[in-house]
Amino acid sequence: MARADSLVKLAFAYGVHLTRRRLTRGRPQVRALLDTSSADGMRALDRSERERHPRLVTCINCGLCALAAGRLGKTRLPDLASSYMRLYSRLGEASSDVEGETPDLAAAAAVCPVGLPLEEVATVVRRLSRR
Amino acid sequence: MTAASLYDAVVIGGGITGAGVARDLSLRGLSVLLLEKGDYGAGTTGASSWMIHGGPRYLEFDWDTTRLSCQDAGHIVTIARNLVYRVVFIIPVLPHDKNNIERMETAMEVYDRFQPLKKSHPHRRLTPAEALHVEPGLAPDLVGAVTMEEWGVDPHRLVFANVQDAVAHGARALNHTRVSELVRDAGKVIGVRYRGADGAETEARARVVVNASGPWSPEVAAMAGAHVELRPAKGIHLVYPHRISNFSITAESIDGRDLLMVAHGGFTLLGTTDDDFYGDLDSVDVLADEVDYLLQGFERVFPAIRDYRPVRATTGVRPTLFKWRRYEDELSRRYRVIDHASDGADGLISIAGGKLSMYRLMAEETADAVCRKLGHPSRSQTANRALPGNESDVVPPGELAARCGIPALAAMKLQSRHGSDAEKVLDEGGTSRLLCRCEPVTEGELIYATRHEQVRSLADAFRRVGIAAGPCAGAACILRAAEVVGRELGWSAAQRFEAARDFVRGAWLGRAPVLGHAGWAQEELAQGSMRGLLDGSR
Repeated sequence: MARADSLVKLAFAYGVHLTRRRLTRGRPQVRALLDTSSADGMRALDRSERERHPRLVTCINCGLCALAAGRLGKTRLPDLASSYMRLYSRLGEASSDVEGETPDLAAAAAVCPVGLPLEEVATVVRRLSRR
Repeated sequence: MTAASLYDAVVIGGGITGAGVARDLSLRGLSVLLLEKGDYGAGTTGASSWMIHGGPRYLEFDWDTTRLSCQDAGHIVTIARNLVYRVVFIIPVLPHDKNNIERMETAMEVYDRFQPLKKSHPHRRLTPAEALHVEPGLAPDLVGAVTMEEWGVDPHRLVFANVQDAVAHGARALNHTRVSELVRDAGKVIGVRYRGADGAETEARARVVVNASGPWSPEVAAMAGAHVELRPAKGIHLVYPHRISNFSITAESIDGRDLLMVAHGGFTLLGTTDDDFYGDLDSVDVLADEVDYLLQGFERVFPAIRDYRPVRATTGVRPTLFKWRRYEDELSRRYRVIDHASDGADGLISIAGGKLSMYRLMAEETADAVCRKLGHPSRSQTANRALPGNESDVVPPGELAARCGIPALAAMKLQSRHGSDAEKVLDEGGTSRLLCRCEPVTEGELIYATRHEQVRSLADAFRRVGIAAGPCAGAACILRAAEVVGRELGWSAAQRFEAARDFVRGAWLGRAPVLGHAGWAQEELAQGSMRGLLDGSR
C-alpha cells in the first residue's frame, strides 16, 4: 500500500514538474552550487589538474623525498603528498603549513620510487589552500 | 566468577544503536551496562557509507522512512557538529539511464521538501557543460545532472561519542566483552553472563536486557528462546585514500541499482553492493567480483576510476527486517522494537532493522520501551543535548596549531574527532609529535585514546583516531603505534610486535581484493619497510 501510495505521489509530482518546465525557462544554477560548496571550504580541481590527478596521488609515504630535500614551508615532503594532497575540503584552514620556502622539489621527485611529480603536487596544494 | 551486579538495563551490542540506547537510558538516570563483543562500531556501523542521509531512494516505496530519516538526521547534525560535514552529490544522467533527467529532477524536487529537516540545501539542475565544468572527471556524453546534499559523518567517532556520554552519565561500557548466556528465571530474562577481555566470566543482573546487536540479534534472542527475523544483506565499499572527485557522484550499476562515490573529508568511499547473506557474520569476505561490479558501474560516469589505487575494501551486513519476495534494494530500512514477553522471554527487548541516519530515534524508542517496562516515566533528552566535544565552538585550527606546536592540518583533523575537547586531548598525551603522518595523528592523541577511549588493540586505534587509514595503509606508522599503545598497556616487546602483525593480517583481508598493479608494487615496498609483518599471510 505504501508503495502504491508513493508511486502515485511521485507520478503527480512528475506531472507538475513537466508542466512547470514547459511554462518556465530554467536559469543557470552552477553559481549557486559553487557558492554553497565553497561555504564549506571545498575548492575544486580544474580540468587539467583533474586529468593529471591520478598521477598526483600515488605517494606511499616511503619517506625517501624527505632525505633528498628539505621542507615546503613547515611541511615535510612526504606529508605534502600523502596528507595534504588528500584534498581535505577545509585545506584553506591549513594554508600556513605550506607557505614559505620551496626546497629542491626536482631532486626530491627524482628519488621517488613511484615517480610522483612533487613540483606539480606542491602547486596544486598551494593553490587549493590559498585563503 | 565474580558476584553479579545489578543494573536497570544491560545493552548488548556496541554499534551505533546500542551506544545510542545506552546514552539515552543513562541520560534518563537509569543504571546501564553496555557490552560489545568486539570494538565499538566495528560491525555494521563502521562498514556503512559514512553518511547521515535521508534516503531519497525510499521515495519510491516508503516516504515515511525518508521523512523520519531526514528528521533524525537534523537532530544528529545538531548534536554532533564536529563529526559531520556536507556531502554534495552530482547525479549525472547518461543517455541510456533508467531515469531521464526530468524524472531525476522530479525526485529531487520531492526530496527538497524533506531537506530543511536536516538543514540541507535544495537541489540544483546543471546542463552538461555546467556539470563538466564543476566535475571535469564525468563522462562527456552526459545529458545533464542534478545535485543533492547529504551529510558525511565519522561513524566510529559518532559511536564512541555516544559511549563516552553514556559513561559520563554513569553507565559502564565494556568492549571486547562477549555475552555467553542470557540468565533466565522461570522464563524471564534477568541478566547476562559475559566473558571480558581478560577471559574472566562475570554475571550481571538486569531488570531489562536490550538486544541491539544488529545482524547478530537473532543469535542473541535465541539465547532466551526468542525470535528475531532478519534478512541480512551484505554490502561492500571500496576505500580510496584521497578525495578523487570534486563532488560526490552517483552511478547506475549493470543491474540498474544506484551506486555512490562519496567524497568524504580526505578519502572516498565507493559503494555499495546489497546481497542476501547466509554466511558466518564474523567472517565476511570481499569478493573480486563485487569489486569489479562497483568499478564497472562507476567507469560509465567517471572513466578515470580505474586509474586510482584503492587502499582497502570494507564489508558489513545490514540487519534488514525480514520480507519475502522483494529484491534486496527494495527492502524497507524501517526498524522494529520487539518486546519478547509474548515469546516467553519477558525482560528482553530487541531493536532490529533501521539505519545509521535514524539511530537516535531508534535508540529513543527502544529506551521508551525499556522505561515503560520499568515503570520509569521519563523523556528522551538526546535530540537536543550535544555530544561530548560539541558543547562549545572550536577555536580556529591555526590558533590551536600555534598553541600546541602541531601543523594546522593536524589541528583541524584533531578537532574533527574531538571538537572543543581537542586541546584537552593533546595536553593529556603530553607530546605533540606526529605519529601517523598521512592522517595526520599525534602521539598525544593515541596516548589519550589508549588511556580514556578503551583502545585495546591497534584495530581499535584505527577506529578511534584513524591510525593507518591513509595512503600508506600503516606501512609508516604501525610499528610506532604499537610502541605507544604497548607502553600504555604494559605490553612486552614481543606483544607489541605481535599486535602490529595482527593488525597487518587483519587489514590484509580488506586489502588483498582491491590490489591492482600499483597496489601490488606498493605492497612489495611496504613488505620491506614493515620488516616481515605480512609473512605467511599473503
